[in-house]
Amino acid sequence: MRNRTVRVAVAACAAALMGTGLAACGGGSGSGQTRITIATFADFGYEDLFAEYEKAHPGVKLENRKLEFDAHHSQLATQLAGGKGAADVVAVEEGWLPKFRGSKDKFVNLADFGAKDLSGQWLDWKWNQGVTDNGSYVLGVGTDVGSLAVCYRKDLFQQAGLPTERAEVSKLWPTWEDYARTADRFAERKPEVKFVSAAEQVFLAMLNQAGEGFFAKADDSFIADTNPKVRAAFDLSAGLAAKGRTSGVKPFSQQWTVGLKQGGFATEVCPAWALAQIAEGAGEGAKGKWDVASVPGNGGNWGGSFLMVPKQGKNIQAAAEVAKWLTAPEQQKKIFDKTGNLPSQPSVLRDATVQGKANEYFSGAPVGQIFASSAESLKPNYRGTQDSLVRPKFQEALLRVEQGKQQPPEALAQALSQSRAELK
Amino acid sequence: MKRALSRWDTRITPYLLIAPFFLVFGVFGLFPLLYTAWVSLHDWQLADGNQGFVGLDNYAALLSDPLFWNALFNTVSLFLISTVPQLLAALGLAALLDRGLKAKTLWRAGILLPNVVSVVAVALVFTQIFDRDFGMVNWLLDLVGIDRIDWQAGVFSSHVAVSAMVMWRWTGYNALLYLAAMQSVPREQYEAAELDGASRWRAFWSITVPSIRPTILYTVVVSTIAGLQLFVEPALFDPKGTAGVGGSDRQYQTLTMYLYEKGFRVFDAGYASAIAWMLFVVVLVFALVNFMVTRRSVRES
Repeated sequence: MRNRTVRVAVAACAAALMGTGLAACGGGSGSGQTRITIATFADFGYEDLFAEYEKAHPGVKLENRKLEFDAHHSQLATQLAGGKGAADVVAVEEGWLPKFRGSKDKFVNLADFGAKDLSGQWLDWKWNQGVTDNGSYVLGVGTDVGSLAVCYRKDLFQQAGLPTERAEVSKLWPTWEDYARTADRFAERKPEVKFVSAAEQVFLAMLNQAGEGFFAKADDSFIADTNPKVRAAFDLSAGLAAKGRTSGVKPFSQQWTVGLKQGGFATEVCPAWALAQIAEGAGEGAKGKWDVASVPGNGGNWGGSFLMVPKQGKNIQAAAEVAKWLTAPEQQKKIFDKTGNLPSQPSVLRDATVQGKANEYFSGAPVGQIFASSAESLKPNYRGTQDSLVRPKFQEALLRVEQGKQQPPEALAQALSQSRAELK
Repeated sequence: MKRALSRWDTRITPYLLIAPFFLVFGVFGLFPLLYTAWVSLHDWQLADGNQGFVGLDNYAALLSDPLFWNALFNTVSLFLISTVPQLLAALGLAALLDRGLKAKTLWRAGILLPNVVSVVAVALVFTQIFDRDFGMVNWLLDLVGIDRIDWQAGVFSSHVAVSAMVMWRWTGYNALLYLAAMQSVPREQYEAAELDGASRWRAFWSITVPSIRPTILYTVVVSTIAGLQLFVEPALFDPKGTAGVGGSDRQYQTLTMYLYEKGFRVFDAGYASAIAWMLFVVVLVFALVNFMVTRRSVRES
């Protein structure tokens, strides 16, 4: 029976191949193998780990599906609603997690698969972001955390007559206002290069330092119009945009990559996970030109993800095991070494090799010290359940200012009214 | 008995033969159409299902929704900017190809080439070409001393960029249809016109165009239907892809993109179904108007 299915499948694949030249015919589940698909976005550093897992578990085949950030999450929402199509294990970023917490019954409670016994592995706040129902329902196990820093181009800073050493650069901007002033200084000497890729990068970084953003921690109500921190973040980032200090490309898009390659941005807001994306986007040619300085303002956390197991999967037991394994300390350590994605577990963060890690691409910046040593003291930002619905309105507002279509107050007013309309 | 059977045969077989089409159409065409109408009369959430009958509330909300009118405007504008020049260019191309060119097949195959390239590839390449900072169009504008244009930012500029993709893909296809029609125009008519001293230009408008009017009618109707449902090109022109709303201020969000946003991002299936039906009505109206206008002129000729 099984053989027959395989034969039919092979025939079908062959036919499909002849028709399109594109069908993926490898890794079927016909020969007694369990195939587990893992849907991610950005760079999770999983390729080598998959091979390692498959070696240790001969019956299991792992397969990565990768999409762009927004598309990944909105597609997942659609798949959950439709009841099929989701991968066996899905990565969910912390900004999107609250939205999915609302449909927790679509996900496996990982506590049923022993995840709760592992809770001590994670930073408390990271663990708590992934659970609901007072901790009894474990929706997701944490992969990485983001923290915050600022990456900058040493060569461009030098040409603009600014300091280039990371300690001195950090001293340029104790606050975001200082950062904006540095942008002005930079623009006087190098007007053809934008100081940062997009105003939304600064806006989101500031929000992530705020503790509370669009929604109130106490009752999840919409407070973006009254929260002075949202106002301050918008005013400062829109100010950068209005002065033309930002480029207005969509961060992490194709245009962003082109901008990086052309040396179009002098700085970039850098959560730990962004380092790999900048290195990949800017390419070998810019190796050693980038460095990492501290972020203006307080510490903050931007991003970091969770692995979750949709209930619709056929192999939830095996999927849960994969999720637990991929987020275990040994793996987090390897991922940090490979990509720089910051571990979310104290035992790994305190590890001597992690703390001593330098990033060659970023001029040997001591990323272990910069990110790992501060991660344990981070306070996460509160995300409302509708955060992922409202955030784009503000990103679009900043883009309108960057495109010269609107002045900052007008753009903010429109973002607020659109948000309210969306929340109705 | 035998005779009865054969009569049955001649009577029923034709219906049996066309039945598969109607069955398939019923399952994949008619049923979704009616089901969508049913859904549009409900508060229907994609994730949680039917939340109760609301009558025409979705339609009422839609008619007072400025974003719907914005999307409708964009759709019609994109349709006009992409279709009118496209069909005129196709007509011109076909006329050129209809004359004795060397390496005929090469040219004819060549103009169809853009049509067989994947639409996603076309959209990605054109988005690069119309890029503000490093795009080829702006580079050329720079060369001749014209200010760079932020194609994404403006309403008209973004419509031009998106229309360029549509024209690129479909002009050659329509030209081939016109060419096929032109080749069946009797050559004697041209010879007679030439003898009467008519110019080529005059012959084209007085002989060629009237003779191929049925084909023009066909392309107009088909382009209308496709143009009003435009989705992939504008969606991929947005750096956020299908997660975007067609620019920073919805400057190139079409009706189908708005439908997608409401249905698959906000999960309001009832509202999305109402948009789908409004789109259906708009397409119907446009197709009918086109049909009548073009048919009347065919008759007149």
